[in-house]
Amino acid sequence: MRKYETVVISDPDLQDQTRTELFDKIRNIIARENGIFLNLDEWGSKKMAYEIRKKLRGHYACLTYGGTGDLVKELERNLRLTDDVMKFMTILISDAVTAESLAQELKDAEDAKAAAADAAQAADTTKDTETDPGTQVQESGSDEPAAETVPETAETVTDDKN
Amino acid sequence: MYKGQRGDSKNRFYQRRKICRFCVDNGMDIDYKSPKALKQFITERGKIIPRRITGTCAKHQRKLSLAIKQSRQIALLPFVGRPPQ
Repeated sequence: MRKYETVVISDPDLQDQTRTELFDKIRNIIARENGIFLNLDEWGSKKMAYEIRKKLRGHYACLTYGGTGDLVKELERNLRLTDDVMKFMTILISDAVTAESLAQELKDAEDAKAAAADAAQAADTTKDTETDPGTQVQESGSDEPAAETVPETAETVTDDKN
Repeated sequence: MYKGQRGDSKNRFYQRRKICRFCVDNGMDIDYKSPKALKQFITERGKIIPRRITGTCAKHQRKLSLAIKQSRQIALLPFVGRPPQ
């Protein structure tokens, strides 16, 4: 099995629902061809270096998945047929991966995500418990930094002139 | 003192040896998804700058040129850029 990455540039004027349908369709194709879907990274609407289909902006998304060459063939055939997709590019990332290693990778990514969510939640709870002392600290500390920042900015301005 | 002086040509001057930026900085990796980093290695017209000018080593120049070409393919970098007026 091989690991691939496909960058899909879709129409920027697409409705959110149509776009999610498009990505669901791609995910279904990967599942149908016995591939392992790893990640969908949406970069959002970006300005392109040149016009594609008379459009200056494009909605970028980067899909990572594991599969065989036949999967890529099938996926690219479908992307070519889809009018909402303006351009795409598939890149081979790793030649020798197994289904197990990809499953492990997926699990690790999920664990990392869960850990990050837990950390954020923990930070929130500590904030909640420390509301009273926190506000006090903020109030007492607010005067001093404000006084300090004024001369600092003045210094940087003089530096720039030199 | 001209270190690089050779033969009779008196006007030759020693040029500082250029070093590969990717070899010096391990954290700097070549990725087609980051056009900002790649922009340093193309001209305003969009051409790839030869390594005799940038000083990039052969290994990294190969990776760099591939990344630039991939980046062009997905419209992150131009095939032909417009020079500033």
